[in-house]
Amino acid sequence: MVPFLGHGIGLRTKHFPDLLEQGRRADWFEVITENFLNVGGRPRAVLEAVRRDRPVVLHGVSLSIGSVDPLDLEYLRDVRALADAVEPALVSDHLCWGTFGRHNAHDLLPMPFTEESLAHVVTRVSEVQERLGRRILLENVSSYLTYAGSRIPEWDFLAEVARRTDCLLLLDVNNVYVSATNHGFDAAEYLRGIPVDRVAQFHLAGHQDLGTHLLDTHDAPVPDPVWALYRDAVRRFGRVSTLVEWDDHIPPLDEVLAQAEKARTFEKAVLEEAAA
Amino acid sequence: MNLAELQALLHGRITGMVAGREDELREQVVARPPLDALARVEIYAGMYLHRLVDAIAEDVPHTSRVLGHDAFVELVRAYLHEHPSRSPDIMQAGRHFGGWLRTYSGIREDLPDLALLERARSEVRTALDVPVAGAEELQSLNPDALPGARFHFSPSLRVLRLHHDVRRLWDALEKDAGAVPDPVPGPTTLVVWRQEFKVFHTGLSEPEARALMVAREGGTLEDVCATFAGEPEPAHAAFKTVLSWFADGWVAAVTSRRA
Repeated sequence: MVPFLGHGIGLRTKHFPDLLEQGRRADWFEVITENFLNVGGRPRAVLEAVRRDRPVVLHGVSLSIGSVDPLDLEYLRDVRALADAVEPALVSDHLCWGTFGRHNAHDLLPMPFTEESLAHVVTRVSEVQERLGRRILLENVSSYLTYAGSRIPEWDFLAEVARRTDCLLLLDVNNVYVSATNHGFDAAEYLRGIPVDRVAQFHLAGHQDLGTHLLDTHDAPVPDPVWALYRDAVRRFGRVSTLVEWDDHIPPLDEVLAQAEKARTFEKAVLEEAAA
Repeated sequence: MNLAELQALLHGRITGMVAGREDELREQVVARPPLDALARVEIYAGMYLHRLVDAIAEDVPHTSRVLGHDAFVELVRAYLHEHPSRSPDIMQAGRHFGGWLRTYSGIREDLPDLALLERARSEVRTALDVPVAGAEELQSLNPDALPGARFHFSPSLRVLRLHHDVRRLWDALEKDAGAVPDPVPGPTTLVVWRQEFKVFHTGLSEPEARALMVAREGGTLEDVCATFAGEPEPAHAAFKTVLSWFADGWVAAVTSRRA
């Protein structure tokens, strides 16, 4: 059973004082896994304080599930240790690759959507789930390039990975919008291609329009076209734990919380409309 | 091109480790107006450098400020060629930066030491938490076991052997005091540690530095005391030093095989 957590925000250093002084006012918090591996001091104390009264989700950026490098077993052991300590509601990372020859590019590089990479990702997701002792969520990334060799639509690729590995999906609505704009596919077709029973979480965020392409910056409020796509996503997938990401030029906590409240309002309206 | 070959091609270009191969990139990456294939790859290459510049600048904010943005970016670019990131944690990317700066000429002579101090402070800030031991742990040992007592230090303790005393420089930059003091050359030992969530650093005299080095390398209390043999009051100096380690929360445990 996938939990519904409500409408959350990312746990960010800038908000630590407010969170400790004013309490944890979001429904739930998502933490960047790598920021809390083998870490003590204030970050760990804040994580423990937050976890005492709110659900927490671990969201990784360095699993590099699509890399041809061997899986980093030390990293997986560290993630498992953190998960065992924090007991997160969900554990997620991205459908991407970022390392080659153990050199980490610290980026979420897009996969070629081929039968070869599908088989590769499926094998690795299964091993990761076994090593972590839980199902993981895979998130679609924003991308700025596609490969000439890709033969499978991204949404079909994700759906097939989920079907073969029994993993869940984190549907980043902003990423769908950004990639659809950058590559000229139909965002609505993307949503239709994702199986309803696999989506366990939504992400929302802001991006920048650089004229030649959209850049997934997480440094601004969620823009109107992404809210529109979010409403479409709620219509298709129903009530799904939703998180607002804001990672750069981070505003005061209240402003981020207001975005989470806006998501709640849109979700309620869509579900009431559907029920009527 | 198979998955491994494709990743080698892209990764080399994005990280700047491999130059050229433009024709292969044009074959593998789709050009979609208004961006051609290479421009699309360059989006990732630009983000790679700037993401790591930001992460390393977060580690060494004063060093990056003294260098100036453009010079700092170029230094990070050169550094990454020799020390590509091997850790899943981007905040580990700069762990060799201060040491690497020592090999670099043409910058203010004490900047490598400033970078080492800043990096140590950054590591200490998030080092693992362990309970600290009080001096009573030492006092509770059987008197026969006391000379053989060994110290186990907190993971949040760092000892730096520097070529300059950068404490005044760090203070001036921390206070944003305008003019920065001139370099102060000379061997300097600094200790960096944390109490609760606050990070401190201080200088050690040469005898204190020797004693701490001996203790950290597994020496006994007797070995530590021996490092003060040349001092006017060796026993007093040794115990004063050891007690200060406990008072500052540097010691996590004391053990003795004869206890």
